[in-house]
Amino acid sequence: VTDPDIGSQGSVKQWVAGAGLDHDPAGTRERKLAILADFCARVGKEPDELVAFCILRKKATGERFLSVKRRETVNGWLDEFAAEQGWTGKDAVVNPNVVRSFLIHNGVFIQGGVWRG
Amino acid sequence: MEFKQVIGNRRTIRFFDPNRPVEPEKIQVMLEAANRSSRAVNADFAKAIVCYRDELTDEVREQLKTPTTTVQIDLAPVTIFWYGDATFVNGAQDRLKELVDLGALPVTHGWTHPYVDDLVFPQVLEPLSKDQLATTWAVSVEAGLAIAHAMLAGVDEGLGVGLHAFNAAGAKDVLKVPDHWIPMWILLVGYPAEDAKGGGQRPRRPLSQSYYRGQYGNPWTEMPEVTERLKREGMIQDPMPADASERMREVKELAERFGLPT
Repeated sequence: VTDPDIGSQGSVKQWVAGAGLDHDPAGTRERKLAILADFCARVGKEPDELVAFCILRKKATGERFLSVKRRETVNGWLDEFAAEQGWTGKDAVVNPNVVRSFLIHNGVFIQGGVWRG
Repeated sequence: MEFKQVIGNRRTIRFFDPNRPVEPEKIQVMLEAANRSSRAVNADFAKAIVCYRDELTDEVREQLKTPTTTVQIDLAPVTIFWYGDATFVNGAQDRLKELVDLGALPVTHGWTHPYVDDLVFPQVLEPLSKDQLATTWAVSVEAGLAIAHAMLAGVDEGLGVGLHAFNAAGAKDVLKVPDHWIPMWILLVGYPAEDAKGGGQRPRRPLSQSYYRGQYGNPWTEMPEVTERLKREGMIQDPMPADASERMREVKELAERFGLPT
């Protein structure tokens, strides 16, 4: 997955529009897209697939629901990803939350780290 | 603070100052307020476990978190886990007769020891205690009254508060909660990092949409002079403006401070 690739995905377009990434300085926007792209590459999922991973369907009714376990899994992946990237201090909170921002703007209610420094 | 001002000032605070400690004295005020709440059969329906975030081990704190509560639990210095006691009927007979003896349940209204022993306990309370749905209903209503007292007392003490659902299964294990306690809410407590007025009161519908006089369908008619008085006395405050740009700016600043997603 590369930056231009993910930009064309519906979920990424929704994120860019919802979070107002177009109004960010170019460098900030590219950094956020790169974090998402690297994370997606790390977990072997396209952005659209990552959103779909968090949403399951009830066997009986087919109704969509947000899986707590899947979101816990994503949070675990994000912890591992942050450690592998060598992020420390506030970066270790802010950067994984870029991915959570992507998920949130695609309807996935997910919370993670807080910087209390 | 005046009572009406306390009601008017309460908001669900979602951004707490994580590093400003909450005085245990203020928590005691909140618990005592809960302990003074109205309650059927003079029972202690409400139970609570007060957790100071920084007194919990990392392992325990992690167990209490879910993907939907992490931010709040990390930001709030204190989380009060509220439960309702499903065994509230135990001792009810004695408590009622004590109230009869004290004159709180007066003979003028029909209260006597035989009434408690022969009717109230065997015909009302015992059957109620064996009906799970009815027990959950009674416990939830009664615990809710106590929780509301505690919440408003917190506001009166200058604290920010917020009620939320929580992962009851995880908490039960970590907090060693007895089986007969029914999970209610968590009450997050701390000093607000956001504007304590949260940008204004949340939108509310007029009284006529929910409250009636005499019978359903005959809406309560508001008296404008009362509404105006409540505005002067602080119960009714300016609502959040339709133009939310100022609030959005505040949320963005808080997100930057705490490293949260936007």
